[in-house]
Amino acid sequence: MTAHAHGASAHPAAGRETGAPASGLLQARDVTMQFGGLTAVNQVSLDIHRGEILGLIGPNGAGKTTFFNCLTGMYPPTSGSVLLDGQVLPPKPRKVAAAGVSRTFQNIRLFHNMTALENVMVARYCRTRTNALDAIFRLPRHRREEVETREVSQRWLEFVGLGHTTDLLSRNLPYGDQRRLEIARALALEPKLLLLDEPTAGMNPQETREAEELIQRIRGLDIAVLVIEHDMRFIFSLCDRVVCLVRGEVLVEGTPAEVQHDPRVIEAYIGGSVDLPNAAPAPEASLAHLQPSNPVLEMPPNAANPILGARRRRGDHDA
Amino acid sequence: MNRPAFLASFERFAAPGRLVALVGTALLLAAPMLPWAYRPALDDMTFWFAPSPLQWCGLALTVVLLACLVLGWVVRPQGRRSLGRRLNFNRGARAAAIALLAFVAVVLVASALELAGLVALEPGGWLALAGAMLAASGVLTLPRGEEPTLRTLRSPAWLQILGIVLALAFVLFVAAYGLDLDDPGAFFSFGVWAGVVVWVAAQVGLLGWLSTAAGQNRSVLVLSAFVVAFVFPFTQNGSDANMSIAAGVLIFAATAMGLNIVVGLAGLLDLGYIAFLGAGAFTAAVLSESAFATIGWSPPFPIVVLISGCVSALLGLLIGSPTLRVSGDYLAIVTLAFGEIFRISMNNLDGTDGPNLTRGSNGIPAIPNLDFFGFDFGSPHDIFGITIGRFANYYWLLLLVMGLIILVFTNLNRSRIGRGWVAIREDERAAEAMGVNTFGLKLLAFAGGAFLAGVAGSVKAHVDVSVTPDQYIFLESAFLVAGIVLGGMGTVGGVLVGATVLKLLPEKLRFFEDYRLLTFGLLLVVMMRFRPEGLMPDERRQLEFHDDDEELADEVADDVAAHRVGSVVEGTSAEPGSGATAKGDHR
Amino acid sequence: MDLFLQQLVNGLSLGALYALIAVGYTVVYGIVQLINFAHGEIFMVGAFGAYTTWMLMGAPASLSVGIALGVVLPAMLLGGIVTSVTVALLMERLAYRPLRSAPRLAPLISAIGISIALQEAVRLFYGRIPGFPDSRRAIPFPVIEGITGRTVQFGGLTIQYSALFTLGALAVCTVLLWWFVNKTRMGRAMQATSQDADTSRLMGINVDRAIATAFAVGAALAAVAGLAHGLRYNNIDPLMGFLSGLKAFTAAVLGGIGNINGAVVGGLTLGVVEAMATTFIPGQFGSSAWKDVWAFVLLILVLVFRPQGLLGAKVVDRA
Repeated sequence: MTAHAHGASAHPAAGRETGAPASGLLQARDVTMQFGGLTAVNQVSLDIHRGEILGLIGPNGAGKTTFFNCLTGMYPPTSGSVLLDGQVLPPKPRKVAAAGVSRTFQNIRLFHNMTALENVMVARYCRTRTNALDAIFRLPRHRREEVETREVSQRWLEFVGLGHTTDLLSRNLPYGDQRRLEIARALALEPKLLLLDEPTAGMNPQETREAEELIQRIRGLDIAVLVIEHDMRFIFSLCDRVVCLVRGEVLVEGTPAEVQHDPRVIEAYIGGSVDLPNAAPAPEASLAHLQPSNPVLEMPPNAANPILGARRRRGDHDA
Repeated sequence: MNRPAFLASFERFAAPGRLVALVGTALLLAAPMLPWAYRPALDDMTFWFAPSPLQWCGLALTVVLLACLVLGWVVRPQGRRSLGRRLNFNRGARAAAIALLAFVAVVLVASALELAGLVALEPGGWLALAGAMLAASGVLTLPRGEEPTLRTLRSPAWLQILGIVLALAFVLFVAAYGLDLDDPGAFFSFGVWAGVVVWVAAQVGLLGWLSTAAGQNRSVLVLSAFVVAFVFPFTQNGSDANMSIAAGVLIFAATAMGLNIVVGLAGLLDLGYIAFLGAGAFTAAVLSESAFATIGWSPPFPIVVLISGCVSALLGLLIGSPTLRVSGDYLAIVTLAFGEIFRISMNNLDGTDGPNLTRGSNGIPAIPNLDFFGFDFGSPHDIFGITIGRFANYYWLLLLVMGLIILVFTNLNRSRIGRGWVAIREDERAAEAMGVNTFGLKLLAFAGGAFLAGVAGSVKAHVDVSVTPDQYIFLESAFLVAGIVLGGMGTVGGVLVGATVLKLLPEKLRFFEDYRLLTFGLLLVVMMRFRPEGLMPDERRQLEFHDDDEELADEVADDVAAHRVGSVVEGTSAEPGSGATAKGDHR
Repeated sequence: MDLFLQQLVNGLSLGALYALIAVGYTVVYGIVQLINFAHGEIFMVGAFGAYTTWMLMGAPASLSVGIALGVVLPAMLLGGIVTSVTVALLMERLAYRPLRSAPRLAPLISAIGISIALQEAVRLFYGRIPGFPDSRRAIPFPVIEGITGRTVQFGGLTIQYSALFTLGALAVCTVLLWWFVNKTRMGRAMQATSQDADTSRLMGINVDRAIATAFAVGAALAAVAGLAHGLRYNNIDPLMGFLSGLKAFTAAVLGGIGNINGAVVGGLTLGVVEAMATTFIPGQFGSSAWKDVWAFVLLILVLVFRPQGLLGAKVVDRA
């Protein structure tokens, strides 16, 4: 099942059939993640429906990215399970990806010495079957899939508006384009569910609007989207539902309007002891007015995470 | 390439400088007509008006210098379209003159060392030195201009093919002539000369053009390279000694090429690779018809080759599957330990410390020659009146093995699997998250590389006649890694160059043997420090080693576009040049 | 039972030697995540440094026990340490420091180069110093009165004085090292650097010096091991670092690389395993010719079943 087979449709993946009823796509059941004595995610249960955009918010260190990593198999959860279409997802990133959950990273993790097109082509790996013998002897399957991979990848590049960057090294792309390229790469996996980890971090308002529009178009392809974001305007105007995670637990779940005005959420963000000058329960006090904080300050202390705390790769930090 | 500031001020004197250089060139043209030495030293440079081969080499270089000097004067470098105008002749002249000075100096010093001393030099030698010094000082005043980038230049196919053929003819000449030089000094001088020619070509810009041409005419390149390699034994006048060296180089190069899949493509440092070669060789030995073979079964050779490959691959799986999950660092040491396990085991399986399989340190001698359908590899054959000896026969067989390994290397590299390897090298966790089977791909590289080494080993057993454990020690593995590092990780040409240098130099420079390992160790350190990507690097590898070099990144981006033109020409679809235009439109 | 105890003692003393070298691997790995492949050669250089000191003292022979143990041995120890530390610091400065931000392959390959170059330099040039023995074959190590050749009977056990020296040296070094790492400013700087070099630099720690210190500490212990090796085997040769280095690395991994206590435990364990293997594996494979094989098989088994080592390693997920 490849996008190429549906050349007639407007978008590369638009033709992907959706057999199951438009309801539960992914269920997280009591997912708990402990690092030593620290419980980063505590019994989080979450349903993601087909074709919806679900926002995941929460103050720094609430365990959002850790939860992401549990969903994508990067951390095997201490307890609990994740089901996709009723099937338990194995805690292996590669198998989760093949099953149809793909993601982007909070700090961009492109293959930066590859061209834009090659980056996207890598994601076609688990949608192609060429084996070593096919490749060595240039058998028909290799040729067919190679052409197909190239075409499909190019179309995904065009889908996110990077059609002109095909042969540019991804490290030479501007920051905003790198974010979009990561999304193109994730989409080339033909996911049923796309996880976006702070897709607008570091973007200006114009780029943020473009990102919002892009995510709407992704939803148009019948791909569900789970998005972590600190930019509340972005979240509340984009999402169908919003979940607020605090200290590893689900605090509130509901429509943007419900979450936006929920006093517990406001308290979690602003802190109970602080009184704003105009703390009346008016729209001004809603979260939509909270801008993302300084990204440098967002970095959690590494010591809190014994797995990544011991040693860091370039730009490898985690909430 | 920063030049000292004071050199810039010289450029005022470019015109007189060029004249001085021309005078020096004239001297250099005249010098080979005179005797250089009192007695024959490197080669016979004692005659009037009869240049020796080395003098001819110098003369050829002088002509190149003259051409560069004149063309640099005549041709204005502002053109962007034609090939002739984009070459940078001033740079070529600089390189040629400086290199000529080095060449002349090496020849004179080597002669003086072999003869009684400087007194043994005749005026011709001094004249050449004076000419070279004049030329070198003259060219220092020439403006260097920018480094020529001819990679995006489009030129007609016939010109490109001609260029490839000429380049390969040069390679054949260097190999054939160089291998025949027995005198260390002459060999060294000739090596310097050959290196200089390549350097001048690079400085002028021809090398960049050639690499583009090669990329765009891959099939021509492959075909002519194999023709050249095939023809090579005929140039050696049936000298089996030379062909034995050539066969040795080929075995080494083939093994290094296999290792390059593991190190260069998948990025796994395997320090015990020689053990896989050894496993293949021992398998072939015990399955051969040698009277000392310990297994009384000797299947036909093609089956032995397969078994050898599989035994090695099996060992590769055994070592790789536990360690590849853990970390790249561990792999290096575990493979090293595996190499030791292999060596010790082969030594111990002698009947007293273990079952008798390998006859311990004695190894298995008297492995008979191969015999395919009545073609006996051990006996000489006459083809076109030239005697093709034992080693030439094996040379051709090894060429086949080499071809197989290159095929595997390049085709895997340019496939879904190759992309997966690059992704793993760049960011393994991201690759895994994008659905790439990282463990499987690493294991494929590791076991596949082992298989190829096993195949090469099975042939090596017959070429070497005997197989002993002390041929397969850690140092040999280190040499293989060095061959790759020196030549360039992830490229075919690089491995060929690296293997040739590492294997040929010690054969020819015997007097240097004691210091071989020391030099080699220091070479590794220096290479890693100053040019970790090797002499002929893979572009992506080069980028990885120079993560912060933006200029390089741009250059490579240009290059990718150029190669896209190539792949379009090679393929059938799309309009030619779409890659280049796409790039041009959007930058 | 006596045989068992005897082999246990033999194994422990052999293991102490491995442990002294293994600490060098572990300290350096812990701080820069580099496998200092040339560390075996530092050990060898230390042995030669000790020997050189003895030669410079006029090759004193047949001294009283007091002078031998009170003057000659400490001088040799000091000479060995100075030589090893000097070489290690030069190596760090010239070969490793420039490669700190290079891809992982670069320092490893550089290390192989250093290793070979050091072996060859000693092999080729040491013997050319006037009056010094030919270093292309094994050099007999000086007789130290009071240690060389002496044994003590203890119950049914025979213990060599050199074994006691090695074990004692390990004990002293471990205590000193513990004190240095935990109680001194530089030790704490090293700990901080190993946690996070960038942050440490921001906190005003001289990271370069901390790393150099790690190399120096490892080298000093390797020199002690070099002397102990000479006393134990009564000769030294330029190639002795290769196998011992490999064994010591095995020990470091066994204990959990990056963990100093682990190196000690791993070394002792490895020594005991080797000693026991030659005694208790029946048949031909129990002969001493196979003991190195068993050590390396142990290394591979550890990586399969307990990659973090006996006492737990720093996280290793870099490829």
